[in-house]
Parts: sequence; structure tokens; C-alpha cells
Amino acid sequence: MNHSGFTKGLWASWLGFIILLVIWQCIATFKLINPAVFPGPLSIVHTAIFDVPGGRLLQHIGISLFRVALGFLFGLGAGVVLGVTCGWYLKLGSILRTPIELIRPIPPLAWIPIAIIWLGLGEPSKVLIIFLGAFFPVFTNTYKGMVTIDPLVVRAAQTLGLGGTKLLLRVVVPATLPDIATGMRIGWSYCFGCMVAAELIAANSGLGYLIMNARQVGEISIIIYGVIIIGVINLITDFIIQEVLIKRKLKWQYITT
Amino acid sequence: MKRSTKRSVDQQKSGRILGMPEQAVKIATVVVLIGIWEMLSQAGILNPLHFPRPSKLIATFWELVTVGYPTGITVWVHIKATVVRILQGYALAAVVAIPMGLAIGRSHLLLRATNPIITFARSIAVISLLPLAIVWFGVGELSRILLIAWGCFWAILTNTVQGARQVDVNYINAARMLSTSKTQLFFRVILPATLPRIFAGMKIGLGVGFMVIIAVEMVGTIKGLGALIQQARFYYSSHIAIDGMIFIGIFGLLISFTLDRLERIILPWAVGLEEVER
Repeated sequence: MNHSGFTKGLWASWLGFIILLVIWQCIATFKLINPAVFPGPLSIVHTAIFDVPGGRLLQHIGISLFRVALGFLFGLGAGVVLGVTCGWYLKLGSILRTPIELIRPIPPLAWIPIAIIWLGLGEPSKVLIIFLGAFFPVFTNTYKGMVTIDPLVVRAAQTLGLGGTKLLLRVVVPATLPDIATGMRIGWSYCFGCMVAAELIAANSGLGYLIMNARQVGEISIIIYGVIIIGVINLITDFIIQEVLIKRKLKWQYITT
Repeated sequence: MKRSTKRSVDQQKSGRILGMPEQAVKIATVVVLIGIWEMLSQAGILNPLHFPRPSKLIATFWELVTVGYPTGITVWVHIKATVVRILQGYALAAVVAIPMGLAIGRSHLLLRATNPIITFARSIAVISLLPLAIVWFGVGELSRILLIAWGCFWAILTNTVQGARQVDVNYINAARMLSTSKTQLFFRVILPATLPRIFAGMKIGLGVGFMVIIAVEMVGTIKGLGALIQQARFYYSSHIAIDGMIFIGIFGLLISFTLDRLERIILPWAVGLEEVER
């Protein structure tokens, strides 16, 4: 694409957003829909500045992110360890994978009721659901990466005298990293959805609670504000994982392919 | 299931474990696990309130099919409620998303203009819209259907856009050389070339919709698979919750299996492209 086409494109991409905001504001300003039910962007900005104290908001964000991070890290760890084990020891793997594959079709959100029965309404049940959200994508992608690794890479390493654990840790696992990264990204977005759902259904803190509570008191602009905040945080964290962690650490993978 | 086991690292090519075929080992694993579970519950090591015995789960299974939970609402009623909701939301999403995606994918300006909106809308967790939907559309069916539609919509839209963008220029040029009209070009070249991606999007969309429905049904209804497990939670009936989850799992598997079959029947050119090109 030539330069002028690019700048034109950039201009267009902002224009779309601005048009949307203007239409939205017009609906509210001209009261096409009752603004108490459908507040415009300006009143949401007003809510953001005056009605939701920044400190409280940061608290909610903090607790939500803490839950997601905790569940995600457990899920990532378990997914990678089990995925690598199943992909390296194939016979043990086909035994270990049997129960995992049986449980996998159940969406993580369907675990919410049983998680509450098992672990109560506190933190552990939420972390369990978020854990499940991360575990399955990470596990399946890691396993897939392990069994579809280029045999030439392994043979080359073996020719050079590598074997056993060294072969696994120095060659096979690094070659699987792009697949693990894919699983990580999918897992992270699942975790986010799981966190919101878990907080909606049972919590007294966090972003999900913020919007569910706003619903109970009928503060629609707070709900919309919360939804936007959740979206923005998801966007930022996904960007960090993709650009900073994956692209920087796995540069070599992207150069070769 | 095919797995590329042709790795020189492990000389485990036989596909046999401990002298038994792999499938038998898998079945044995399940049987042994269930057996251990049953024994641990019988011995009282696993709390029966939390981990009901597998034999009780089977009895409950039968009860759910015949009597229902809550009484009178059999599992078929739950499944039907869920299916009807998914189909409505899904159809709504597809009807809007496919034409929109085709338009966006074929126009540079539209693509540029909508790209940030699509990126942002996709990063909004569908479930976070639940309170908003309840406020706007009430706790009834409309909220649920719209949320499913929203969840499916973005998956179908982005895939349609991708597909429409990536139509091989050679196809279009070839068609133009044969002096096809614009409508013909669209219906005979662009649409068929995009269909595989549209179908991929519909598959992902259904998966998303399936996840959304379970959570959405946990609020404000007693019919539907999500409602079933949520009701079970209120009454602390773990055996019903677990059976409900099994139903949900089977249901999800059935959906993806049917879609795979359907794709092969409707879109044969999406699978065997190499074979056709001689």
C-alpha cells in the first residue's frame, strides 16, 4: 500500500469511531431513546469522572486482575506441564489425555455451579473457573505443538548428540513455544470472560460486581462505563501478551516462518 | 483420530500400550477412574455431598430424563429451551453479520473505518453485557437471544471479512476477463470463495454462543441447561449439577460433530481444494 493510501486509511479508521460516537450522542441529546435508559457518551464521561471514585475503581480492577492472573498462571502451568508430558511420553499421554478429553467439551462457565458447591462463594471457586478457562486451550495447543514438531529438528539435535531431558528442554519445548503462545492468548481471553461471569454470579468485589451492582441500583451509565473498562483492560493485556511477551521472546520463530 | 507419531525421538510406534490396543487402554482408564471414584465415595473418603457416587449419578441421569428437575421439567425440556435460544440468536447474528462482513471485506474504506470498532467490540466480554441487556430488554427471552446473537455476531463478522478480503485476485481477474457482470462476479466468484471462511466463522460463533447461553441461562429462568445446573446449585444437589454438566458436554460435542459433517457436505471445495486442481 502506498503512503497516501495509508494516511487516508488511518483517517478513516478514526472517522468510523467518531461517527459512531456522534450518532450515539445525538440519540441521547435529542432524546430519541430515554436518556435515563440509554445515556450518551458525554454522560458516561461525566459518570466516569464524578460518580465512580478512581480509588474504588482501581480497587475493583486490582481484585479482578488478581483473580484472572492467579487462575491464568495455574492454568498455564498445569497446561504446559501436562501438555509437554503427554506429548513426550506418548503412551502415558494417551492414558492421561483420556479424562482430560472427556472433561474438555464442558465449557468453563458450566463449572460455576459445581465450583460453588465444592468450594463455596469465596475466591477459590472463582480461581478454579478461571483456571479451567486457561487450562484447556493451553493444554490442547501445547500437546498439538509437541506432536506436530518438525522431525528434522529433532533428528538434527540427535545427530549432534542430544538426547533425553536435554533434547526435551533445549530443542522440543522451545520448538513448541509458538503453540504454547497461541494457547496462552486464547486462554487469556477465556479467563477474562470467566472472571466476569464468575463475578456477576457471585462476588462482592471486582469489575463484574461493579456492573451487576450498578444494575441493581439502576445506574446504567456505570454499567456501560464498567463494560468499556473491562473491554479496554482486555485489549491492553492482550496487546501486552502479544506484542511484548510473544513477539519479543519468540522473534526467532517469526523470522524463520 | 490421527496423530503424527512418526517421531524418531520415541520408538513407540506400535500404538499398543502394555500389549493392549490404545482404544482399550483408554476405555480401561475411564473404567478404572470411575471405579476408584465409586470406592472412595463408598468408603466415605470423598464427601458424598460434593462428589456423589457414579452409581448415584446414573440413577439421577434416569431421573432427569423421566421425572425432570425441577420436577416436571425433564432434561428434554431444558435441551429444547437451550436449542431454541441458540438457534434464534445464531440466525439473527448470521443474517446481519454475513452481508455486513462481505461489504466490509470488499471495501477498503469500510474496512479501515470499522476496524477499530470491531477490534474493541470483540474485546468486550459478552457476559459483561448481561446486566446491560437485563436493564434494556428485561430478564426475559429477548435479552438471552440478543446476547447469544452478540456473541456469535463478531466471530461470524470477522471471519467473513477475512474471507472476503482474501479472495484470490486471480479468480476475480479471470472472471473479469470472461466479462462477468458485477452481480455474477459476486454470486459466482466472491461468495463461493468466501463461504469456507464464513462457515469457519459460523462454527466459532456457535461455540461462543454455546458458552454464552450456559452463563446467560443462570440468571432469571428455570428452563435451559444452564438453568438446570444453577438450580442444582441453589439446592446444593451436586449430583444434578454434575449430570447437567455431562449433558452440556454431550450437547456441545454433538453440535461440533454435526457442523463438521455439514461442512463436508455443503462445502466440498473447502476441504479437497488440492484434489480438484489438476
